[in-house]
Amino acid sequence: MMLLEHDAKMLLSVAGLPVPPGRLVRRTDIAALPALPLPQVVKAQVPVGGRGKAGGIRLVREAGALAAGLDDLLGMEIKGHRVQACRLEGAIDFVAEAYLSFTLDAGAGTIRLLLSAQGGMDVEDPSLRPHLLSATVAPDLDSLLAGIDALSPRLPDTVRKPVTDAARSLAPLFFRHEALLLEINPLFIRADQSWIIGDTKLAVDENAFPRQPDLAVIVQNNPDLYPEAALKLDQGYDYVPLDAGGDIGLVTTGAGLSMQLIDELVARGRRPFNFCDIRTGQFKGDPARLIQVLERIAAGPSIRSVLINFFAGHTDLGEIARLLIIALKAVPHLKVPITARMIGNGLDKARAIIEEAGNPILIETDLERAIDLAIARAEDAHA
Amino acid sequence: MLEINADTPTIVQGITGRAGRTHTHHMRAYGTNIVGGVSPREEDVDGLPLFRDCAAAVAATRATASVAIVPPLSVLPAILEAVEAGIRTIVTLTEGMPIHDAVKAKAVVRAAGATWIGASTPGLAIPGRMKMGFLPDVSLAPGSLGVMSKSGTLSYEVCHRLVARGLGQSLWVGVGGDPVKGTRFADLLPLYAADEKTSALVIIGEIGGDEEEELAAAITEQGFAKPVYALIAGQSSREGVTMGHAGALIHGETGTVASKTKALNAAGAQVFTRIRDLVAAITPTP
Repeated sequence: MMLLEHDAKMLLSVAGLPVPPGRLVRRTDIAALPALPLPQVVKAQVPVGGRGKAGGIRLVREAGALAAGLDDLLGMEIKGHRVQACRLEGAIDFVAEAYLSFTLDAGAGTIRLLLSAQGGMDVEDPSLRPHLLSATVAPDLDSLLAGIDALSPRLPDTVRKPVTDAARSLAPLFFRHEALLLEINPLFIRADQSWIIGDTKLAVDENAFPRQPDLAVIVQNNPDLYPEAALKLDQGYDYVPLDAGGDIGLVTTGAGLSMQLIDELVARGRRPFNFCDIRTGQFKGDPARLIQVLERIAAGPSIRSVLINFFAGHTDLGEIARLLIIALKAVPHLKVPITARMIGNGLDKARAIIEEAGNPILIETDLERAIDLAIARAEDAHA
Repeated sequence: MLEINADTPTIVQGITGRAGRTHTHHMRAYGTNIVGGVSPREEDVDGLPLFRDCAAAVAATRATASVAIVPPLSVLPAILEAVEAGIRTIVTLTEGMPIHDAVKAKAVVRAAGATWIGASTPGLAIPGRMKMGFLPDVSLAPGSLGVMSKSGTLSYEVCHRLVARGLGQSLWVGVGGDPVKGTRFADLLPLYAADEKTSALVIIGEIGGDEEEELAAAITEQGFAKPVYALIAGQSSREGVTMGHAGALIHGETGTVASKTKALNAAGAQVFTRIRDLVAAITPTP
């Protein structure tokens, strides 16, 4: 997952690296903002690149314009991400903008090192390409440092020292935080050859959280900014809101099939409300996950239909049906038709349990028919 | 590469855990030659001989393959132990292995010339003969389709429907949904090319990473005379949002369905974004 710029900068700052003074501001913080040295840069905090182009970064020169700048950016949507917080940062005087990044190459199991005297723009920008120095190194600190030293002599004199120094200082953090990507763009170079981190992208591995408490705590303390990661960390399953106005809620297991089911609904012109990979194999007799997901779906203002899809390998569908009935009783305000595609072990038992409960769920074994049924029942509910 | 057959002597690492017991039982019922297990505990699992470590298990059973069913932070140590003991094929089913661990495991496995399938995979199967992992029996049937998949559940669905049409599999390998993995699609291409029982290839891919693009490049470079059908999931995903699989993450223009479709089409593969279109396109070959 991509850390928000503010959190990445805090991590780097704690490690002793120079970052501009800054603070995170949510809408509720605006009224109590202290006087800040001007100019300030207002930066929307979203986990995607291209914020500048999308209008997510503003320079504010007058104190009176700060609240308005924040107001504009908070609530804005950038590449499908609603801006929940901004970083307010003191503007930096610089003479040059450089670039550096370490990327874990998943295919090769190596690290790709990029240094450039030209930063401040998208690295994909073709005009940046001729300046990029690139090396591929083994995934350990010594190899990365050696790679930096090997590229360093090819940097222009004007930025060689600060870029090399910054890269060497950042390299240990890539390993300490088990990063997948650490990019500094721009790396501001000042007239005195000192450097400071202008912007950073730090992608980290949620699987490493059990032994990376500093990262886990960022997510735990900011569930509003990292809702999916916080839920995964706290509850052990995946849930992603897709479309607040969506009319079909999904209770599904398996990441790939759940993702595909969303594609199938979108291809039929529908608006699925959510993604979820509830992991039926981990229920262990507890309906809590089902209740949570059904509650979230019930809160959708436009929900007209719920589609469940459980392709059970070894999971017992009878047990799943039992938990589903308990969960539905716990969420009585969910009053839309529920269609369940079930296939696998214990289907007959599941049918019997659902029938005994008064047939609150329509069972269908074929996925295409289940999708069509869920859509038809959503349309009936509209009518 | 992938030195397995229907009778490969196989051990289970983590055999006394809840999942270890369950899957050992199902694998044996399917015909897998499970010859023992590794666990620190002295308990009975299906009457199999249990050992304290892989070295003892390999010495006593001559196992050449291992299925590891251990907690996420124990996957790397399990792989190191298996490689050290001389195991040639290691399948790790566990979800949640840290990526930096996967990088280390990959380097060690490569240096030993062994094969690692996973992590985060339902495993592999030679349908009708054996399975290493938990691919569901209802989706398995002997046949001539070579299947490679990043996603467990999506491959179950696709293969279940193909089996209903009378189309089974020659060899099914779940490579897993993690970004750094032991074996990627392209690694297996020569195996499927040489395998006489395989008449066509079915790829279950998804957004994120560049494995599909890499496979396309390998098809173009090495040549592959059999038809290739691919399904790519995740067309409606947003940049920067992970949907379940850590590997299924789009950054900018890379990892998109468009990029993968273009590459695979250029290599002569048929690419689909809907299951029924893929299933309908695959025709039995004599």
